[in-house]
Amino acid sequence: MKTYYYSLLQPILFLPQITNADMNPVTNGALKSKKTSKKPEYSRFTQQELPAWKPILTPGWVITSFLAIAFLFIPIGLVSLFASERVVEIVYRYDQDCVPEMYRGNVSAYIRNSLTNKTCIGNITVPKKMDPPIFVYYQLDNFYQNHRRYVKSRSDKQLRSAAYESSTKECEPEARFNKSGDPVPIVPCGLIAWSLFNDTYNLIKKDKVLNINKKGIAWKSDTKVKFGSNVYPKNFQSNDLIGGGKLNESIPLSKQEDLIVWMRTAALPTFRKLYGKINTSLEAHDTITVVLENNYNTYSFGGQKKLVLSTTSWIGGKNDFLGIAYLTVGGICLFMALNFILLYVFKPRPLGDPSYLSWNRKAVN
Amino acid sequence: MTSNRPDFNFKSSSSTSSRNSDNINTQIRNVDLQPSSSQLSIQSNSWRHSSNLGSRGVRHGSRSGVDSEGFSMSRKEIEIDDDDARLVYVNNPVKTNESFEFSGNSIRTGKYSVITFLPRNLFEQFHRVAYLYFLIIAILNQLPQLAVFGRGASIFPLASVLFVTAVKDGYEDWRRHKSDKIENNRMSYVLVNDRFRQKKCKDIQVGEVVKVSADETIPCDIVLLSTSDPTGVAYIQTINLDGESNLKTRYAKQETLSRVPEKDIISGLIKCEKPNRNIYGFQGNMEIDGKRVSLGPSNIILRGCVIKNTDWAVGVVVYAGRETKAMLNNSGAPSKRSRLETHMNQEIMLLSFFLVTLCVVVSACAGVWLKRHQDELDIMPFYRRKDYSEGQVENYNYYGLGMEIFFTFLMSVIVFQIMIPISLYISMELVRVGQAYFMIRDDKMYDATSNTRFQCRALNINEDLGQIKYVFSDKTGTLTENKMEFQFASISGVDYSGEKTEFYGEEGGYSIQVDGQIWKPKMKVQVDPNLLKLSKSRNDTKSSKDIYDFFLALAACNTIVPIVANTSNPNEKLIDYQGESPDEQALVYAAAAYGFMLIERTSGHIVIDIQGERQRFNVLGMHEFDSDRKRMSVILGYPDSTVKVFVKGADTTMFKVIDESLNLDVVRATETHLHSYSSIGLRTLVVGARALSVSEFDTWQTSYEIASTALMGRAGLLRKVAINLENNLSLLGASAIEDRLQKGVPEAIESLRKANIKVWVLTGDKQETAISIGYSSKLLTSKMTQIVINNNSKMTCQRSLEDALIISRKLINVTHASEDDASSVALIIDGTSLVYILDSDLEEQLFELASKCAVVLCCRVAPLQKAGIVALIKNRTDDMTLAIGDGANDVSMIQMADVGVGISGQEGRQAVMASDFAMGQFRFLVPLLLVHGHWNYQRMAYMILYNFYRNALFVLVLFWYVLYTGFTLTTAITEWSSVLYSIIYTAIPTIVIGILDKDLSRKLLMTYPQLYGSGQRKESYNVKLFWVTMADTLWQSVIAFFIPVLAYWKSDIDSSSLGDLWTLAVVFMVNIHLAMDVIRWTWISHASIWGSIIATCICVVIIDAIPVLPGYWAIFYLASSGLFWVCLAGILIASMIPRFIVKMFMQHCKPCDIQIAREAEKFRNSMEITRSGEIEMNR
Repeated sequence: MKTYYYSLLQPILFLPQITNADMNPVTNGALKSKKTSKKPEYSRFTQQELPAWKPILTPGWVITSFLAIAFLFIPIGLVSLFASERVVEIVYRYDQDCVPEMYRGNVSAYIRNSLTNKTCIGNITVPKKMDPPIFVYYQLDNFYQNHRRYVKSRSDKQLRSAAYESSTKECEPEARFNKSGDPVPIVPCGLIAWSLFNDTYNLIKKDKVLNINKKGIAWKSDTKVKFGSNVYPKNFQSNDLIGGGKLNESIPLSKQEDLIVWMRTAALPTFRKLYGKINTSLEAHDTITVVLENNYNTYSFGGQKKLVLSTTSWIGGKNDFLGIAYLTVGGICLFMALNFILLYVFKPRPLGDPSYLSWNRKAVN
Repeated sequence: MTSNRPDFNFKSSSSTSSRNSDNINTQIRNVDLQPSSSQLSIQSNSWRHSSNLGSRGVRHGSRSGVDSEGFSMSRKEIEIDDDDARLVYVNNPVKTNESFEFSGNSIRTGKYSVITFLPRNLFEQFHRVAYLYFLIIAILNQLPQLAVFGRGASIFPLASVLFVTAVKDGYEDWRRHKSDKIENNRMSYVLVNDRFRQKKCKDIQVGEVVKVSADETIPCDIVLLSTSDPTGVAYIQTINLDGESNLKTRYAKQETLSRVPEKDIISGLIKCEKPNRNIYGFQGNMEIDGKRVSLGPSNIILRGCVIKNTDWAVGVVVYAGRETKAMLNNSGAPSKRSRLETHMNQEIMLLSFFLVTLCVVVSACAGVWLKRHQDELDIMPFYRRKDYSEGQVENYNYYGLGMEIFFTFLMSVIVFQIMIPISLYISMELVRVGQAYFMIRDDKMYDATSNTRFQCRALNINEDLGQIKYVFSDKTGTLTENKMEFQFASISGVDYSGEKTEFYGEEGGYSIQVDGQIWKPKMKVQVDPNLLKLSKSRNDTKSSKDIYDFFLALAACNTIVPIVANTSNPNEKLIDYQGESPDEQALVYAAAAYGFMLIERTSGHIVIDIQGERQRFNVLGMHEFDSDRKRMSVILGYPDSTVKVFVKGADTTMFKVIDESLNLDVVRATETHLHSYSSIGLRTLVVGARALSVSEFDTWQTSYEIASTALMGRAGLLRKVAINLENNLSLLGASAIEDRLQKGVPEAIESLRKANIKVWVLTGDKQETAISIGYSSKLLTSKMTQIVINNNSKMTCQRSLEDALIISRKLINVTHASEDDASSVALIIDGTSLVYILDSDLEEQLFELASKCAVVLCCRVAPLQKAGIVALIKNRTDDMTLAIGDGANDVSMIQMADVGVGISGQEGRQAVMASDFAMGQFRFLVPLLLVHGHWNYQRMAYMILYNFYRNALFVLVLFWYVLYTGFTLTTAITEWSSVLYSIIYTAIPTIVIGILDKDLSRKLLMTYPQLYGSGQRKESYNVKLFWVTMADTLWQSVIAFFIPVLAYWKSDIDSSSLGDLWTLAVVFMVNIHLAMDVIRWTWISHASIWGSIIATCICVVIIDAIPVLPGYWAIFYLASSGLFWVCLAGILIASMIPRFIVKMFMQHCKPCDIQIAREAEKFRNSMEITRSGEIEMNR
């Protein structure tokens, strides 16, 4: 019986053997006749004696590294907390308040009816002085922009170039529009574009409209490369079921910054997206009237909608988590450093003491 | 029929005289080496007949070593059935090939042709389970409902591995094709139309007659017809076939040897076996001129052999091309699976269980989610179950709750596929290749005398070398050099074992003058001056005659072929004695040194130069060695036409055929000498002779001729003839040959013992020899208590074992406090006792006893018994066994043991062929086990755990994210990154570290063999470590996932950016984790670890620079924010802290030996290390 043995890399090793031993017993006679020494050539590599750094963490090093981490992490934690503390953030949840009383029982009838008045007015108060730029975000909760069906439902080729207008394979069920029996591609196709967020906000401070700058809210890389300047929306939201905002068909995709922001899908089910920027500062206790169009349907799946006004710091928005985490880690390291100092003082072990070797311990016992 | 391995037969079956051993048996005595020593011997009352020693047919008590192996030829001569036979018409290839299509002589070692390459290569590659797993996952992914990854990304890993392997296979095959081409186009002389013409090797057909000249390689398997030697002898070298460099003889048949094919056309019919792999066997017969002549292995020359010392040989082709025995033996290396891998597979099962659990959790959650949102699914913006675009509303991509759950399950298998570290198998193979590279190139395992490197024949058990607990060693050729040296002689009762002088007499030993040239034996032998003087003085005294006969017997009674070789000096020639048995060589060299120089041998006569006088003796007949008789004899016709038979053999069988009445005193004296020789470890042979009267000779000759031409049972008949002849001999004397211990054996055994490896010696030698070798190799020490068991019935064996157990328990209890040599017990057991013990209920007791003993010596064991002893340990314990040996008799043991090591020594390559590792010297076992074995084990064990961790970490990070995506298996990490993760991002460092990292230096490992214990105790890989690693993995994955999630909660982060953060974090973590465990930082480790971090960054940047991928430019925006860097640093530190704390704590409070040794090496100067080492030794 021939044993079957198959080894991926055997030949690398056995090239000399293939010719010498088993492979071809006949030819190797010739090879063997010139008998040379097979003594392996000495090199530090083949003898595994390459110069090497062999660090051993002695008690000194252990304590030093714990202390180093502690002294690095605690300040960073404090700085982060401080930065987060300085961020001023106003969150205004409006999805429930903006549904008129009469429709509270049947929200979807209200939101899906294009004839109902969606305008809603609310007030927010600025708690602290906010320095520009102030970012205006909308925040959606419980909206799975990272849902597999949703994420995949887009055609990056189509967004980028007019030549790929009809490459809509991934976009089902929002790929094509049945224009009098002739299916034509939707641009931009797919669920992401279809569900474009379309609530609008107007902020009024002391009867003066606050200018929300909606330019430059998308990534430059997206406006320049990813979304084509010659791609224009076509047949968008023409199907019976309308998912969200409509697009002006005369503006190329590269200029539709709301769409571009929306299409950079959020990582987590609770997310914010940039709506615009305010370039004037808001004083503490200012009252701002929000006039918004409550168009977007999150009611069908229990999603929440919030308007967020926030300043930023080097650490992003208001989030104490990292500061606390750093302080915790730094604290633990400080604690461990102390513990190890105590351990080394009260239970010392000479390094490399042969009497600790297992066979010596056995002999002592 | 030649006995294929007389040397080994001597070894395995020579035995002491029964009287001697009885002597030992019946007394309890102190060995006189040390006053404190004691030897306990278990008495056996029954008289033992050593003649039927091994002949009881118990399974492990094999009759003789030769029969026990597939390698050896079978003694049975069966009539070949016509159906099973191959018919070859001599010199008639047309007729031969008419009815049967025999293979032509062209060979193809190449596996593929241009057309078959792709399908066959792919077919072979998919024999690996890993590739099948890859393939199934890739196929699943192609189903539209399950398409998790894009088509390219899902096929890429498999395709790249397949491609690399295919390129490698292709290259290898191309080399084979090239060598095949050279081989097939060699020219050889073939008889065509009554003349020998040149023909290409590949065109030779079965049935043709070929002619081969001296030093040419045989192109196919041929049956000899005639040779340049008038008696039809051809000498061949089989080095290409079995590695043996000595010359072997092959014979043409009497009926054909005188015919010259060109003139006297031979036509006949050869009926022989179908092609088979047995290179030591051949059966057939030849019908020629109406006579049937039988053919045996001595009549066939196999492809690959080289003709030597014979001007030409003519033969008829019986097997050609791929049907030749050489080609049929062309098979791959043995396949074993390492212990570590077996254990690892259990953990792989656990991982599969984790994988299934994750998938079940995901699919169950997905089911619940879908159920809860059932009413909203139709128009939910991120789900949209219904498709309204067409005329009628239909479900889009929704197949009902059950199917959705099922699809989710399959998809999660695809996403989490690397939980099963398939790449680990490939990495392990690469690491083993690297380890083997270093083992092969270790110049401390290179044997200069035989010019052999270490060889790794099996690639998949490197790490087993680090866990060996038992070493089973052969003696001859393994512990000893198997270079026989003639030491003493006892001639007619006189012991010549006095002081030796170097090459007494002329400078450079004995030499003779031939045609003005000086001929010298190649090897010099130390001689006894007294004996030399006596052998030179030729007078008619009885003792002088005896000496003459004795040396004549040594020079004549053998199968040695003298070969005269030129030297650089034209006036000087060397006689090289070539033969199959090193013992015989030693005897002939000895005879030459005393002035009896064999200078020529043909099958018909020999020429011996006796003290400068050339004498020609006719060799009238020869009974070759067989293991039943344990002796051989030669019938010499003197020039004065007297006839004498000389017999030489093992003492046990010789004393039975010696006529003791002739000279009882001499016999007694010789027996005493024999005993003293063997007790200092020498191998002994007894020589006898008898003059044959004319009538005796005639009777013998007739029966000899009948027997040697018999078709049925020829071997048996010949044996009978020999037994009839070999009797009433007069004792000439006995010889003692030393088989020296190999260099460094005592030190090696000492080291192995310190490393807590039990060394068992299994030898075919007699007890006295074995014990004396035991002492000289430091296996036995004088403080040890010896228990000797040699019995010849089951009852007595049982009693002995029980007694021995009681003794050993008592000893161990008494001296329990101080664990040193005094309490250790050495068990000495012989083959006969083993016959009764193995395979019976006594086995259990033997095991119990043997496991209490520090040393076990088994003497006179047959090859299969060796395997039985290995099996005794292997089947009852979990301990790793290693068998080391050099001869055919060790093959069964080598194959039985977990690790088989072959010594490529004097006895050919059979042991090497069966072994997993092969080397030149026994002492290399120490660096092999203590250094390479230790390293291999540490590296491989760490690598496996690390790979589990590495893959599980990634999978868990993916898994946590799935919980935040509505259980829909979205991966924030791009599909390309998940594909490249195990191929580029993290693959190289683990392989490099697995090959290069060294926990301890070679010097330290050799100084403290006890450090080997870490492997035996499975310190680097065990279930506890696995769970600890998994717990650590869980913690790290939680940190890696949740720190970014909490830091970016309610922010405008997009999934690509977060995915990039996770990718980088996981890759950094995995590499930092590795860096924390690297012990020895060479530039290569630096390059691989930091290099792969850099490579990952580059890859992430490249992926994010492709505009059509959704994550375009994400990494740049991400990296420009402070939050990212704070997150990354936090993840790296927070994830490693628990590991670091535990590691440091363990290091301080429960340091392992390796840790202390490392510290000692670094912080204590070498003086201190060695000093403490010495203290250790004196303890």
